[in-house]
Amino acid sequence: MSAADAGSPNRAPPPPAHTPLGHLRATAALIAVLLLGTGVVYPLVVTGLAELVDPSAANGSLLYYPNGTVAGSGLVAQNTDAPYLFWERPSLTDYVTTLGIGTDPGPTDPALLALLNETIAYLRLDGNLSANTTLPLWWIAPSASSTDPDLVVPAVTVQIPRIAAAVNNSTVQGNCQRAFGTNVLVTCLLDLVNAHITNPPIPDLGVPYVDVLPLDLDLLPIIAR
Amino acid sequence: MMDLAPFWDVIVLIALVLCLAPWFGAYLGKIYLNRPTTGDTILIPIESAIYRLLGTSPQKSMRAREYLFAVLWVNGGVLVFLFLFFLFQNGLPLDATGAPGMRWDLAFHSAASFTTNTDFTHFTNESQLSLGALVFAWPLALFASAATGLAVVAAMIRGLVRKDGTLGNFYVDLVRSVTRLLLPLSFVFALILVALGVPETLRNVVIAHPLTGGTQTIELGPVASFTSISLFGTNGGGFYSANAASPLANPSAVSDLFETFVMMLIPFSTPFAFGQIVRKRGEAWPFLGTILIVFLIAFGVFVAAQAVANPALAGLSGVGASTNGYPVGQETRFGLADGSLFQVVSVYSNVGANNMQIGALSPVGQLVLMFGMFTQSTPGGEGTGFGTLLLFAILGIFVGGLMVGRTPEYLGKKIGTGQVKWAALALLAHPAAVLIPTVVAVAGGFVTVSSGTLPASAHTFTSVLYEFTSESANNGSALAAANFNDTTPFFNIAGGIVMLVGRYVPILAMLAVAGMFSEQGFLPPGPGTLKTASATFTIYITLFLIVVTTLLFLPVIALGPLSQIVGGV
Repeated sequence: MSAADAGSPNRAPPPPAHTPLGHLRATAALIAVLLLGTGVVYPLVVTGLAELVDPSAANGSLLYYPNGTVAGSGLVAQNTDAPYLFWERPSLTDYVTTLGIGTDPGPTDPALLALLNETIAYLRLDGNLSANTTLPLWWIAPSASSTDPDLVVPAVTVQIPRIAAAVNNSTVQGNCQRAFGTNVLVTCLLDLVNAHITNPPIPDLGVPYVDVLPLDLDLLPIIAR
Repeated sequence: MMDLAPFWDVIVLIALVLCLAPWFGAYLGKIYLNRPTTGDTILIPIESAIYRLLGTSPQKSMRAREYLFAVLWVNGGVLVFLFLFFLFQNGLPLDATGAPGMRWDLAFHSAASFTTNTDFTHFTNESQLSLGALVFAWPLALFASAATGLAVVAAMIRGLVRKDGTLGNFYVDLVRSVTRLLLPLSFVFALILVALGVPETLRNVVIAHPLTGGTQTIELGPVASFTSISLFGTNGGGFYSANAASPLANPSAVSDLFETFVMMLIPFSTPFAFGQIVRKRGEAWPFLGTILIVFLIAFGVFVAAQAVANPALAGLSGVGASTNGYPVGQETRFGLADGSLFQVVSVYSNVGANNMQIGALSPVGQLVLMFGMFTQSTPGGEGTGFGTLLLFAILGIFVGGLMVGRTPEYLGKKIGTGQVKWAALALLAHPAAVLIPTVVAVAGGFVTVSSGTLPASAHTFTSVLYEFTSESANNGSALAAANFNDTTPFFNIAGGIVMLVGRYVPILAMLAVAGMFSEQGFLPPGPGTLKTASATFTIYITLFLIVVTTLLFLPVIALGPLSQIVGGV
């Protein structure tokens, strides 16, 4: 026990206070030590061990095409607004990550209602959804990060009829091929969606959702794109 | 209306933190009592080598004035280093992202922001910060500012148990904070974050080829190690500009809960460190009680406000219902309860990280967060939050003593006019640093929105008020920039000064008060001595804190958030 319990009878006279030059030296040395320890050694050691803990996560949860090209990250939404794909949540930055984040309108801002109505109109027209289809609020609301990769399950399943209509039946692969008069493709897409649902790992911790990009990548072989 | 079932995971988390707090607080206490702890065999030689390099030794115990000088030297050094680094970042190592050097006012704001544990950013990380600035320079401040806060409060507490006029050695306190607390635990937490899906790599960028053509830039880097210390050190800066709302920095509801735990650990344990250092464990409870009462009420009100559907969206047709009344600016993967807990913990611990867009929250939710920054002490930032709570207690004991005619004393130390003056100064510096610049900004025409004029909207006023409140409280959360342009020289310079005042005036007061206490002997407890380890004292301090804070800020609350709640504008 040193400084904390100072006051023992035999203690030596206290060392002199730091001079301004002493403070300067201590400051400079401290910054140098911290830069080395916390700016270089710390991230490097964590990086090295991260490769052992979870290499995929450590490298950004990247997803690849069959030919090895990077398609994107399972943690970053991208523009998937094609008729034959599942769409993501809307992005105020159009999924351009270098723009940072878009700012959502405040709760009482008239611009908020206008923005959401614009999204609804877009989803109904370009997304081929009739006026009596109920849209989940989570699908029309812009996210916090502008790249939220996840979508609530009803917002995914509501897109299935559009995809089934957009896909040319003759190219559909395997047992998902639409049989004459029955809708095997819709059932098949529903199965695919169900296989991609992430349920809350602990009950009540959030709602079930689907990470859209892995779903779309698994959709590609089925629709032969 | 409210069903408790969805809350059991956050209840378990809060209970877990409270179970760990006495034990972890005792560990914190040992660090600042220089008692032997695990890891001494490895750490003592390393620390001794660092002390030699610094030209100091644990035997050197500083008086209040010298301790303050040491704080200012180190923090000044970090400030200057960061300022120069940001100014010239395009010519320094790791400038691959091509970000230009910062304009001097932005460099000043950023350097002040990181040095003061605020981490309020007026730039977009992805385009305006070089890789070197992000992964090399900024982490220096993440560690140094957190350690400074802890060291100062350790010195302040020592003042209550010493009578030789010294408060300890700042350099030793800072080094031990890093080697025994911040660095080892950040390291463990970073690896857990990786296991939960957060990247940690030397690659800074990946070019992806999206399904609909074109390219997408995915920024990577040491995200886990950065996020870990940023949250554990109550800094709150984000690797990404989306901060903890970014799916890369916070990939799931589980990581969200874990990051909440990381933020809570030190602030909720500090009262027990205090109990350990003053050798009266029971004295911790009134402070933990105060923190819990204010924090739990705030969390309850916040969740209740978020669960009700936003009336402004009543006009939408063909849209389904949602358990979260304000899904705009929220992330799908977080639940209402755990997502809200993160946000309330973050602001109330002055971390300032966000996992949602605060500007899109319900007006009541925004007010709840602001109240946490007004008190700054429930539990408040690393060290300084507890220091502020002690200042409140000193003032409260003094006022209470006047009311009942007792000699105001605390833990055997007489509370004199000197201590009361300093405590009052610290507690008044905060509203002054918030209100004066807010008035100057609004009345002086410095608030510009994208259309170029100031709309007479309560939300814009709230945004400006929130900005300066966040800066003065060294919080760092923001209502979001587009409500007005806060990247002008005025907001950079004024904001930088507000952060420095909001940080160093209270630190000055804490050390001054501690210095006075440390010069005094101990009064023996008499029949008139206030029993501070009691429920009565807990309730008294809680009410004192709430009343004083509310009175200081009521007029501006009425102008901004309240008129939004009542008037809906």
